[in-house]
Amino acid sequence: MIHRILGSIIVFVSIIILPYWVYIPLLFIAIIIFPFFWEGIVLVLLIDVLYGNGVKALSWSVSPLAFSVLVLLIVLLYLRDSLRSYA
Amino acid sequence: MKVSYLQRNKFRRYYLTRIVVLVTIFILTGVLLSFFDSIIISAISPIWKSENSIVRSLRNGISFFNSKKSLIEENAFLKEKLSSLEAETSSLSRQCVQESALLELMGRRQDPSTIAAAILTRPPQTPYDVIIIDVGSNESIRIGSEVSLPEGPVLGVVSEVFSKQAKVKLFSASGEETNAILERNNIPVVLTGLGGGNFKLIIPRDIEINIGDRVLSSDITSRLLAIIEEISSKPTDSFKEILARSPANIFTLRFVSVTP
Repeated sequence: MIHRILGSIIVFVSIIILPYWVYIPLLFIAIIIFPFFWEGIVLVLLIDVLYGNGVKALSWSVSPLAFSVLVLLIVLLYLRDSLRSYA
Repeated sequence: MKVSYLQRNKFRRYYLTRIVVLVTIFILTGVLLSFFDSIIISAISPIWKSENSIVRSLRNGISFFNSKKSLIEENAFLKEKLSSLEAETSSLSRQCVQESALLELMGRRQDPSTIAAAILTRPPQTPYDVIIIDVGSNESIRIGSEVSLPEGPVLGVVSEVFSKQAKVKLFSASGEETNAILERNNIPVVLTGLGGGNFKLIIPRDIEINIGDRVLSSDITSRLLAIIEEISSKPTDSFKEILARSPANIFTLRFVSVTP
């Protein structure tokens, strides 16, 4: 749990002060490492609010980045359940 | 033989529940953030300001430790650059004087009132060629206000306004289309943003164009938008693909002028 919170904080801080080619890969790494990383959705929408065209309430226009994060999270749900580790 | 689907159904239900939870979080967060966007940007802007000042002081600290020889070389290079820029500025200002005299004659005199703004954050921190400036609606900035360099070249327009900050979408943002004029032969073209201060335009291959040619805005002020950098065409093509770049390095911008 501590690792998960630390990971979220690192991604959050990097969104505020680091270039996008650092924080976007960090976000995707966090999504892959931590199971059911719903915080990724909050973080990617924060990127859209800060640096994109904003998030419009009651609008279906979603940035490709936010959409890809949602799709990755859903795909990883299925993959994690399908894969078995014997380690 | 009896087959039990209980385990499989349980797994499917659990999987669907988590998908619904993710989509709900997505929608709820989107709605919440859309209401609190100005508060979030106001809360984070002091961090950006302090980050900018730290980066500037670090740069100054590094330059302090530079060797004497490299400083002499840099001094000579800067003097050369200054003289060339002075020459360029004088030629530009002569053109400007002619243009403004013409506009005055036609009763279309430009309003010189602009507001200086510091840049809080710029690419590559922002992924979409967006800059955030430290003036907003309290300085009568509104959506669509034109943003340019203090030297003249136009950069973009204000896309979102908050009380003390504003978001500026640069013309070079990916997919952004801007009407422009090729200065060499006064041909109207459409500049398509490629991101990172770069543009693409496509023109018929018969039109003469050279590297270094200027692309101007299509409004009456005809301000510099981009400079031609690369021309590519195949013998079989009837069009030329041209790459242009913004006259300013958008990764090192510090100040801009906003026309409210």
